[in-house]
Amino acid sequence: MTNNLIGVLLEDSALSLQELARACAVEPDWVVRHVETGVLLQDGPAPGQLEAWRFTSVDLVRARRLREVETVFDANAELAALVVDLSEEVARLRRRLQVLGAE
Amino acid sequence: MERTVEYKDYYKELGVAKTATEAEIKKAYRKLVRKYHPDVSKEPDADQRTKELNEAYGVLGDAEKRAAYDELGRNPRPQGEQFRPPPDWGSSYESSPGMDDSDFFADLFAHVGGRRRAGGGFQMQGEDSHAAVTIDLQDSYQGARRHIVMRVPQADEQGRVVTRERTLEVTIPKGVTEGQQLRMKGQGQPGSGGAPAGDLYLEIRFQPDARFRTEGRDVFQTVPVTPWEAALGGAIDVQTPSGTVSVTVPAGSQTGRKLRLKGRGIPAAQPGDLYLLLEVVLPPANDAKARELYETMAREMAFNPRQKTGA
Repeated sequence: MTNNLIGVLLEDSALSLQELARACAVEPDWVVRHVETGVLLQDGPAPGQLEAWRFTSVDLVRARRLREVETVFDANAELAALVVDLSEEVARLRRRLQVLGAE
Repeated sequence: MERTVEYKDYYKELGVAKTATEAEIKKAYRKLVRKYHPDVSKEPDADQRTKELNEAYGVLGDAEKRAAYDELGRNPRPQGEQFRPPPDWGSSYESSPGMDDSDFFADLFAHVGGRRRAGGGFQMQGEDSHAAVTIDLQDSYQGARRHIVMRVPQADEQGRVVTRERTLEVTIPKGVTEGQQLRMKGQGQPGSGGAPAGDLYLEIRFQPDARFRTEGRDVFQTVPVTPWEAALGGAIDVQTPSGTVSVTVPAGSQTGRKLRLKGRGIPAAQPGDLYLLLEVVLPPANDAKARELYETMAREMAFNPRQKTGA
């Protein structure tokens, strides 16, 4: 059976707090803690209005990576954030190298 | 459609004994995943090994899946019969054409999200699933359709576990960029007790193409030009991701000159730009006529590119 589906970009329809938590298999509290400490960003208007928080592709990928590093390496949130920051920086530099034709 | 998969010795994969404790398994995985992580590893098969390690740890690192896997090991199947994965193995995905699953789980973190969570009552929404789909850069200019094969373990009439395949035809909208996530509601793991299914998230990846590089919506393309096109300028035809474009090379161009074609990057309300990087290519001096032309230039052109270096 083939289903015809249209994929919706998270840039066009961003995730709510609950949806992001489910996509990362974490409780919403985990997301709230990470947004409050600045490790995760949200695109909503006000920090206190949890219902208005919105998350796009970059946030989903980052949240899943943070969760993975915390779980596999028993890392605390700050250390996991540092690992993910460095990993994102490596990816960004590799892309620059590619653009410059050096890799 | 039923499909079986090959038996894999996950304990061997992680280099641990079958009696290993949870802590020992985690320790072995941590060590190996660092060794083969694609960001740092110099091992030639780092991507493949990381994928295999993730698969092994995905099973042995989860008490329930490990128990089901061990059960299979204790009840060996008749020779020739293939390994059938236990229930709740987690589904995996393939994209077609090509049915090459190398796109999936290539990243250390790509498999996260499959953990079960405690749910209230007997109803529980299905887990969200994550996979990746690879498209050509040109597909992002026009939109594309891809077939995703979803493998879901199910029990058959005899109570045996088989994997059934469900094919999804996914429309990928125009204007996607690398790394973006597409969400398909209700296409993840089935729910229990009448609860809704989870969602499926697909990460967009671009097939590597020697001609193009991207950074967000901006596209970069190297364009070879002749010395006379670079020196004298003029119109040249360039095959861009959106088709052939006539581009004017300014006179006096050198290798590395960047020409910006505004709005010809990946389309969007604010489309990216296309950058053409000129690369002057010298014709070979491999016959008498070519050599004569070079010799004439050497004799008649006062040109010393090393002048500024004091040579």
